[in-house]
Amino acid sequence: MSMRVGVDIGGTFTDFVAFGEDGTVRTFKTPSTPSDPSAAIIDGIAALLGAAGPGASISEVLHATTIGSNAILQGQIARTALITTRGFRDVLEIRDLRMPRLYDIGWTKPVPLVPRHLRLEVDEKTRPDGSVATELDANSVAAAIKTLREQEVQSVAICLLHSYANPAHEKVVAESIRAVLPNIAISVSHAVLPEIKEYPRTSTTVINAAIQPVMRAYLSVLQARLQAIGVVAPVSMMQSNGGLAAARAASDMPARIVESGPAAGVVGAASLAARLGEASVVTFDMGGTTAKAGLVEDGQVARTEAMEVGAGVMAGARLLVGGGYMLKLPAIDLAEVGAGGGSICRIDAGGAPKVGPQSAGAVPGPVGYGRGGTEPTITDCALVLGYLDPAGLAGGTLRLDLELSRRAVAERLAGPMGLSLEQAALGMIRIASATMMRAIRAVSVERGRDVRGCTMMAFGGNGPLFAAGIARELGITRIIVPPLPGLFSAFGLLLADTEHHLTRTARAELSTLSPETLQASLDSLLVEGDALLAQDGFPPDRREATMFVLARYVGQSSEIAVPLSPGTPADILASLAEAFGAEHARLYGFRGPADERVEIMGLQLLARGRAERPRLPGRIPPARLGAGSLRPAWFQDTGWATTPVIDRAGLADAPLRGPLIVQEYDATCLVPPGAVANLDGFGNIRITV
Amino acid sequence: MLRCYVIGMDSKPDPISAELFRNAVVALADEMALTIYRAAYSGVLKNIMDYSTAICDGRGRLVAQGLSLPGHLASIPTALQACLRHFGDDIAHDDVLIMNDPYEGGMHLPDIFIFRPFMQDGRVLAWATTVCHHTDVGGRVPGSNASDSTEIFAEGLRLPPLKLVAGGRMDGTLIRIIERNVRLPGRVMGDLRAQLAACEIAIRGLRELLARHGEALLLALLNETMDHSERLTRHCLGELPDGEATFTDWIDDDQIDAGVPIKLVCTVRKSGERMVFDWTGSSPQVRGAINNTWSYTAGASYCAAKCVLSVNMPNNDGVFRAIEVIAPSGTITNALPPAACAARGLTGFRAADCAFGALAQLYPDRVFAASDGGNTGITIGGTDKERRPFIYVDFLSGAWGGRPFADGLDGNTNMFANMASFSIEVIEAENPLEVLDYEMLPDTGGPGRFRGGMSLRRTWRMLAEQGILQVRADRATHRPYGLQGGGPGTPSRNILDPGQDSEQQLAAKLTMTLRRGQVFRHELPGAGGWGDPLARDLAAVTADLREGKITADGALRDYGAVVTPDGVIDPGATALLREAMQARRAPTPSPAWETLGATPVLPQTETAP
Repeated sequence: MSMRVGVDIGGTFTDFVAFGEDGTVRTFKTPSTPSDPSAAIIDGIAALLGAAGPGASISEVLHATTIGSNAILQGQIARTALITTRGFRDVLEIRDLRMPRLYDIGWTKPVPLVPRHLRLEVDEKTRPDGSVATELDANSVAAAIKTLREQEVQSVAICLLHSYANPAHEKVVAESIRAVLPNIAISVSHAVLPEIKEYPRTSTTVINAAIQPVMRAYLSVLQARLQAIGVVAPVSMMQSNGGLAAARAASDMPARIVESGPAAGVVGAASLAARLGEASVVTFDMGGTTAKAGLVEDGQVARTEAMEVGAGVMAGARLLVGGGYMLKLPAIDLAEVGAGGGSICRIDAGGAPKVGPQSAGAVPGPVGYGRGGTEPTITDCALVLGYLDPAGLAGGTLRLDLELSRRAVAERLAGPMGLSLEQAALGMIRIASATMMRAIRAVSVERGRDVRGCTMMAFGGNGPLFAAGIARELGITRIIVPPLPGLFSAFGLLLADTEHHLTRTARAELSTLSPETLQASLDSLLVEGDALLAQDGFPPDRREATMFVLARYVGQSSEIAVPLSPGTPADILASLAEAFGAEHARLYGFRGPADERVEIMGLQLLARGRAERPRLPGRIPPARLGAGSLRPAWFQDTGWATTPVIDRAGLADAPLRGPLIVQEYDATCLVPPGAVANLDGFGNIRITV
Repeated sequence: MLRCYVIGMDSKPDPISAELFRNAVVALADEMALTIYRAAYSGVLKNIMDYSTAICDGRGRLVAQGLSLPGHLASIPTALQACLRHFGDDIAHDDVLIMNDPYEGGMHLPDIFIFRPFMQDGRVLAWATTVCHHTDVGGRVPGSNASDSTEIFAEGLRLPPLKLVAGGRMDGTLIRIIERNVRLPGRVMGDLRAQLAACEIAIRGLRELLARHGEALLLALLNETMDHSERLTRHCLGELPDGEATFTDWIDDDQIDAGVPIKLVCTVRKSGERMVFDWTGSSPQVRGAINNTWSYTAGASYCAAKCVLSVNMPNNDGVFRAIEVIAPSGTITNALPPAACAARGLTGFRAADCAFGALAQLYPDRVFAASDGGNTGITIGGTDKERRPFIYVDFLSGAWGGRPFADGLDGNTNMFANMASFSIEVIEAENPLEVLDYEMLPDTGGPGRFRGGMSLRRTWRMLAEQGILQVRADRATHRPYGLQGGGPGTPSRNILDPGQDSEQQLAAKLTMTLRRGQVFRHELPGAGGWGDPLARDLAAVTADLREGKITADGALRDYGAVVTPDGVIDPGATALLREAMQARRAPTPSPAWETLGATPVLPQTETAP
């Protein structure tokens, strides 16, 4: 019996979900091993193989990891140099000047990934049209190579001005280095991001260079260890854009897999939504320190054109940028806020209650953990209200002290506000929920979508606990809590497709663009995407391509992506102005007059390799933990109410009315009074509020 | 019919509801800001975020402001209240107001305000408000931002409080007047549509809040949101020591009366839970177009106060209640008509520097030395080889003053304007210009225990036959001040044809013809240093040397650090030199504030042995 295994390395735990070809689903959770991350993977896979019995094998390993972003955040990157056009080595450090916070003289810029003395310059200059203004000076290249050698550089990024228009000089510099120093990893900007604007291209290329040796080393160790335990299956990595990439491709372009863990959950939600026929889904993924929201429409995830690595959570709106390292590659559009189970609750000097963004983390953790925490957290509030089991999660390995939590909430929150213990605890949860609602609104309402028509898919360790309350506030009536909500990223990995995202700068006013020019640009992208999928082993009948144009009204300074309808280039051109206007109206609530000029800024291709068979099993059998029980829990409308506590299988027979608590190994799902929960054919909990 | 509600003490909302409402209304203002950001046409809005959005109550008091430009902090309520005075109760639910008159609550003509009422049964409960800097509002120069106009009538179309939409119908006459008077009507109308879209978002959100809370509670919650900010502000003020301090800073000149420095004087008085920024003593209004309105001077004062108080202070009327701004009319801090004010951005930056300088005397551990002095505005316009017109507008900025606990930032926007830098590749793709460099310059950050941020330079070569170059720079004669013994940063410089026989130093503010092949270079000022440079950690000096942020000469001159020929610091020789330099200083140093205020450019008097 062979299994496909999804592995998600998180900060605390490494999660495994395995689908057997016979329909079995196995899970495993083990503490992460940050100093040697692949050790935990080998343990887990060995455990899964052992549990499956003799004759079991692994057919595919699908993997999400934060190794890339961790290396950047902790400064454990390769010794990296940057080669630029003379006069422009500081582009990396000057960035776009912007800061993410106002009125804070303590704000400190992220340290450049390449220090100034390793930012080397060569004499050359290409013009925007690709013609050469100054020939590349061989002596300056030789001088740069000499420094690379003397400074024992491990990886180099090459980013010359206008290389998107003509990469010749970048290619010569790269070849010159390779000829002399064959062991240095090289990232060239025209290959990483062939787009105009030097800062995003430089920053993205530098990130790629800085983590490439780290990622290569990690993947080669992982593959060697897998082989040592007899696993020869191909390894694929989740990219930030939600598609899978073969390990080889990930080694070449590690910038694409920097933020892969959170993407996997959304991909899982998209796949599940398509199976269930849900047209519009908002995902709600809440963990210990943050909550993330994403949007899935017609089975497709919403994407963004750029992200910042290590910027922290969004500061209320996504207007203030500059907190992290700019990575301009397509990524799943996730809005993240600093509210999670560990978020600390306080009263400010003006008497207003505040939640987060400070988190108690794993140590000391919530007061109820009894590890010395003194400030009440959202988890303490949930415990006080009876929503969480004092016997704890994870099969009882972590017990919670209700009395400690009650005392902290009473003394630090209820007393100062003049509210009852329960009102105070619920109030803090509502405030945290309001913060999380901002994340959901950011990906829905702020993009012109009516969130009330969406279904919420709730996962993460804390998502199912708070989903119903948040859905009610937002006017969402349907909630899906998928199976294995606490392992959902690992689950999502098993459902992803191989994807390549390609972009081209192509500037032209729409009215002057000829069908031939458009055809030529599209063809070159299609050929490249096709070749990449062929390299991945997909036969022609399993290769798909979706094209987008980036367009704006002349004079606007940001573009929107408009999917191209199929047809001849002439048809496409004829319908493009209307398609753009309609999308503009949907996003911003208005469109320009009919004669407003539209310009094309670029083209994008999403090339996808379809799996041979459907990747989702027909049903995930609900877990059965044992007999149900009763527990008092406090709700606004009812006060203390005797609340049944059941397992997921307990919903199998008939819909049940709240209040109700569904307790699982990896999460707790709260069904408040007035809501109804049932189990669907796939194994999801469906809640109607 | 306009009526305002005052709610009695009995309807005070509970703390949880109040916090939820506060979140909702701040989120709404941010959502408005995001709408403009995404839908705006002009790069000024996008790159400089030169716009603001807010929710105000029925009396025009600021309840929540979206993330936006610090200079706009006081502008919206000032402008809205002027409109309310004008229209009285002649306001209907389907009206939209427009205005830009600096002398009726505005700031400068490019800033157009759009206000939309939120009403219930004829009562105004709240206002959705926006202000955007438009690309052009007519007048004598493209961009409507010349610093050398001498009266407002030259600066563009002046709109008193008017109804852009009355009874649900757009005023076609007004639209035609606007379109006919601006250079880029498509862009201006596009940005106005973005402002209207933002107001629509706000009205929808307010409607939901009204449905949820009902009118009485909604009004109580609006009040409580402001009251909470007032309590928080007063609490933070109460924790600071009382005191009074005055600081003087200078603008080099106004370009009309060249070489005549312009004085800004700020006195901060802090007592108990109250702070006053008093600008008495500042220069009379000037002929050049750099006169502030009251609200812009207030914005600079609030910006400085917020930096000292707390990062998380809300933006609303509650803050204003505790912090008073006095700007005598007829001065550059509160000009009277018909003073020109299009380029008042410069005075805003200097007012912020001046307010920081005053606060630094009272709270030395909370204030940084002078930053780069604000942005330099550069405009190059003309026609390219196909005779098509081009206009390139750029704002350069980039260094923070040394801080009481860390170096000033290198390559970061000024605190008073969260600006983005323009892409070199886009500049070259869209204009007949070649950019030759964009880099940081060593030995430019003011020396200090914590070094000031470095100067940035950018250099352009003209590729078209000819064009007009306009530059508005400052801090060429009055350098960014250091604090607590830190030295000033280097002055700004404009250079024609650097490194060639025709090299020539230019004035800080200039208008000239640039011909094909000519090269223009601008160097921003370096920022001031904080603390005694001889006390700078040698590890920091070493790192600066390695990174090329100072030279060996600079290390010797500014920090008394002796660098050996192989580039490392000799600690023994350095200790001796530092001791000698220390000994040569005046035995009783004069008070920091007389010597280290706005320091004019002086020849270096101290040389290493």
